Amino acid sequence: MIRMPYFPGCTLKTNAKNYDQSIKAIFRELGIDLVELPRWNCCGAVFSLSSDDLLRQVAPITNLLRTQELEGTDSVDDPRLVVPCAMCFNVLKRANQRVRENPEDLKKINDFLYLEAQPYAGEVQIVHPIELLIEVSRAEIEDKVRRPLKGLRVSPYYGCNLLRPKEVAIDNPEDPSVLEKITEMLGAEVVENPNRLRCCGSYQTVVDQRLVGDLVYDIVKGASRGGADLLITACPLCAFNLDFRQSDASKSHSDHKELPILYFSELIALAFGMKNSFGGEHFVNPAPLMENFLKKEKGGI
Amino acid sequence: MGYPDYMYESIKLVEATRPKRVEMAKEGLQKFLKPLSAEEREKVLQENHPDYQPDACKPIRVGPNKGEYMTAEVVNILERPSPLPGDFAIEPVDYRTDVLVIGGGGAGCQAALWAAKNGAQVILCTKLRLGDANSMMSQGGMQASVNPGDSPLIHYLDAIGGGHFDNKPELVKVLTSEAPFIVKFLEELGVIWDRLPDGHYQTQSGGGASRRRMLSARDYTGAEIMRVLRDEVRNHPDKILVLEYLPAIELVKDEEGKVAGAVLFDMDTGQHFVVQAKAVVIATGGFGRIHIGGFPTTNHYGATMDGVVMAYRAGARLLHMDSVQFHPTGAIYPPQIHGFLITEKIRTMGGQPVNARGELFVYPLEPRDVEASKYIQECKKGLGVRTPDGQYGIWLDSPLIEILQGPGTIERAFPAMLRQCKRFGIDIRTLPMLVYPTLHYQNGGVEIDELCHTRVPNLLVAGEVSGGVHGRNRLMGNSVLDYNVFGRRAGIEAARIAKETEIKGRLNVAHVREYQEELKRKGVEPKGYAPILLPEYRNLEALKRHREEFDPFAPAGL
Amino acid sequence: MSGELIPIYIYSRRYFVPEGSTIISALEYIGFKLKKGVGCKEGFCGACASLYRLKDDYKLKGGLGCQTVVQPEMQIVQIPFVPAPKAIYNIEELEADPEIFVRFYPELYRCLSCNTCTKICPQELQVMDFVQAAIKGDFEQVANLSFDCIMCGLCSARCPAEITQFNLALLARRIYGKYLAKKSAHLEQRLKEVESGKFEEGYRELASLSPEELKNKYFQREINFQIT
Repeated sequence: MIRMPYFPGCTLKTNAKNYDQSIKAIFRELGIDLVELPRWNCCGAVFSLSSDDLLRQVAPITNLLRTQELEGTDSVDDPRLVVPCAMCFNVLKRANQRVRENPEDLKKINDFLYLEAQPYAGEVQIVHPIELLIEVSRAEIEDKVRRPLKGLRVSPYYGCNLLRPKEVAIDNPEDPSVLEKITEMLGAEVVENPNRLRCCGSYQTVVDQRLVGDLVYDIVKGASRGGADLLITACPLCAFNLDFRQSDASKSHSDHKELPILYFSELIALAFGMKNSFGGEHFVNPAPLMENFLKKEKGGI
Repeated sequence: MGYPDYMYESIKLVEATRPKRVEMAKEGLQKFLKPLSAEEREKVLQENHPDYQPDACKPIRVGPNKGEYMTAEVVNILERPSPLPGDFAIEPVDYRTDVLVIGGGGAGCQAALWAAKNGAQVILCTKLRLGDANSMMSQGGMQASVNPGDSPLIHYLDAIGGGHFDNKPELVKVLTSEAPFIVKFLEELGVIWDRLPDGHYQTQSGGGASRRRMLSARDYTGAEIMRVLRDEVRNHPDKILVLEYLPAIELVKDEEGKVAGAVLFDMDTGQHFVVQAKAVVIATGGFGRIHIGGFPTTNHYGATMDGVVMAYRAGARLLHMDSVQFHPTGAIYPPQIHGFLITEKIRTMGGQPVNARGELFVYPLEPRDVEASKYIQECKKGLGVRTPDGQYGIWLDSPLIEILQGPGTIERAFPAMLRQCKRFGIDIRTLPMLVYPTLHYQNGGVEIDELCHTRVPNLLVAGEVSGGVHGRNRLMGNSVLDYNVFGRRAGIEAARIAKETEIKGRLNVAHVREYQEELKRKGVEPKGYAPILLPEYRNLEALKRHREEFDPFAPAGL
Repeated sequence: MSGELIPIYIYSRRYFVPEGSTIISALEYIGFKLKKGVGCKEGFCGACASLYRLKDDYKLKGGLGCQTVVQPEMQIVQIPFVPAPKAIYNIEELEADPEIFVRFYPELYRCLSCNTCTKICPQELQVMDFVQAAIKGDFEQVANLSFDCIMCGLCSARCPAEITQFNLALLARRIYGKYLAKKSAHLEQRLKEVESGKFEEGYRELASLSPEELKNKYFQREINFQIT
């Protein structure tokens, strides 16, 4: 097993435990042991755009410092920090970039963190699980697929944080294909969704549910028009909006067709033959779809 | 910082004898050091304990206990007049309530909570902040017979024997039989007891206890309980009004002689307030800050015996006020922590009292008065260690705990002690502590029955300020239990009698005037007033410049 | 403690106090009658929180007045009270769910992970770590790391996100103690026994003994530190 440092983030520990557990499970299958970063703290959740607002960078940089502290200890084999939550990934990567490009800022932050055992050097690398999956060979993944998702029609949804801004993008921001590739490796059918790169509405969900409902209506419609059974995502906030705001979508649009939402890792876990559900709260219940699919499949587990 | 160089000569002797003492401990110290017999106990107490010295006690000339011998400093305070002028007018009444609780420590908070639970409107007044009390400071634990091999009856025997059989038996019965309930009640409020992996409580032995029954919360037991009780009191703002920085200085009565409230005094603004209440609970705690015998104390700043004074003036009887508990292990070095409590649990977990020559000279867990007397005796024999300012102490060999219980034990079980001594450059994991007895607990107090009644109608008393529960010597862990058990009882009973009580006639402090007159008749010429409220630590030179008659802020012509 | 006098500043006025004094004993030496900002005088109650700066040092430090030894040219002020929200709740109605922080102390989630609270804590606790544990919903970790908190308030006074660390930690500890800590079967057993009156006879017997008999029974009692 290759051990890698793992940053779950606050939401994966509370409202998105299914994402956390499914990620850890599928990577264990692939020979990677994700070891939770000791003493990690909340990433800060929103990257501060003000050039003088350095205090907001302290939270993400402290996590990168904790990752750097693992060097020289025998706790990890591959030192890159694995971050599943797209928002945490975005914040950590941008903070890292910011201090790499601005040595003055890095120095100020290190001065502020004077009680730490070592200053942050800016060398930590951050990787998203989707990028890790692409590194693993196709053959290896297909080898673990014990339950090919034949007949399941999946619409991958990217959202914003994995692709924008350019410096954090895990794939071509205009035309990404990583989730589609993974979907095909699992034996499922890809449904193209013209709205797969549209913003889900993000934090607007707290103040303007109708707006988010409208955005979600378009995104889900893009999938259902193509005949999709479900959408997959990599961000807990997208997952919440796409799932729970379908109730607002239905309120404003009488022709809204509900589709369930899963994390991409839950889909992979399903294909790997693991348990059918990692729990989690849903507005649109994925259980009927899963039961139906499992009834239809012949052979396999 | 740390110990001065000259002390290392003695420390080296302690280190030299340590391996042998480790072996003795592993085999069981009872093999090598028999606990003292009754006769031996009497002898060492007579010769060394401060209570037994000539001039330690004198007869009180006034009040319900007149003619009895009590500790001299206690008599001096009780024989002082009230600061209230003779013609003090009780009107107007500022607060009206069902139950007034005087004192914001553990007993006060329990009383307030249970009185409120039983339908009373409560006012709790306290001299400093809610929770500023000896309750916050106790470290080692609370006794409760929770182990299968124990029983409340054995607990009873331990407590009554430890108290020299002077305890009121009915109070000891209540104390020991209600202990398991208190454990449960506190747990239900959220107190985190130390536990074994299977969920049962970690229990330790204690001085004078024949079974292991000391429950604890690291060495912050008192703080853990006090924080929770205080928080819970504040969760009921509709039922309990908390008045901080407002000590009571005198009880008031109605025309039938029932206690009917108190006069409060604001130390900052100099204002008086009157509370009218149908029942009053006094829970004012201890008296360490009167520094009996000139000893330093483990007590908090406000422990000045206020409740005893007010109750005595109102006609309550006192019990066992000739008995003072000195905690054997008060820190004696460095001077900044002079008198600080070093919990008995250090000894129950392996720490040994050792003289300047490195010799273990007494079984570590005699009852406190016996243990303290032995330490005093050892220093009298010239076998103590001298501090730079001329005091004497004996070593408490704490590194034994790491050796006997495993490295990391002190950090886990005594974080408070470790931190406190580390602040002054002493790491108690590798160096012994230097200790000497310190003034710790008021064994006696205002006499109560099982429902916390005094002989004054509608005056209830609970906690350290009460007398009779512990006889003439309190065992470790029974005081934390006392304030919980009797604080609760006082609250329940106060609520009950408040429902049946009607205040008759005008409020008055006639009993204060009568007390003042008795003082005059007996020719008592006291200096100062009582209750004293706060101890005097201002430097004498600074006080010389303080002119009492010169007050530019005295209100002019109102 | 040499007996020498050294200069310190209370507010901005200079005084000379004996070397080795603590902040509290220095104030008493000067002639202040302390009616606030002093409590147990032993480091347990958090009443005497103080802020100070040392000579030629820009760093603002926090400490307990009864434990901090004064240095020459130290500038001192006492913080006897820090205004802070305290949630009112009925613990019987709560669950061990991080939702309670959202409900009672939502400012918790403003934490910047800046560690200012940890730096000022006079008990040297890992304050930021227990704040983060609360965010993660880990009640046990909050209880462990905040156990020695004396609730002096300095963390809350300095926090840029204006969190009240000590009150939310207390809530977390109570929740842990009530709902998450393991329970003792032996206690339940003992409670049943007491309630059933199993010991009444024994108490009556003990109360009926003569003083001699009681003394004998006491001095001959078995000393046994086994649990069962």
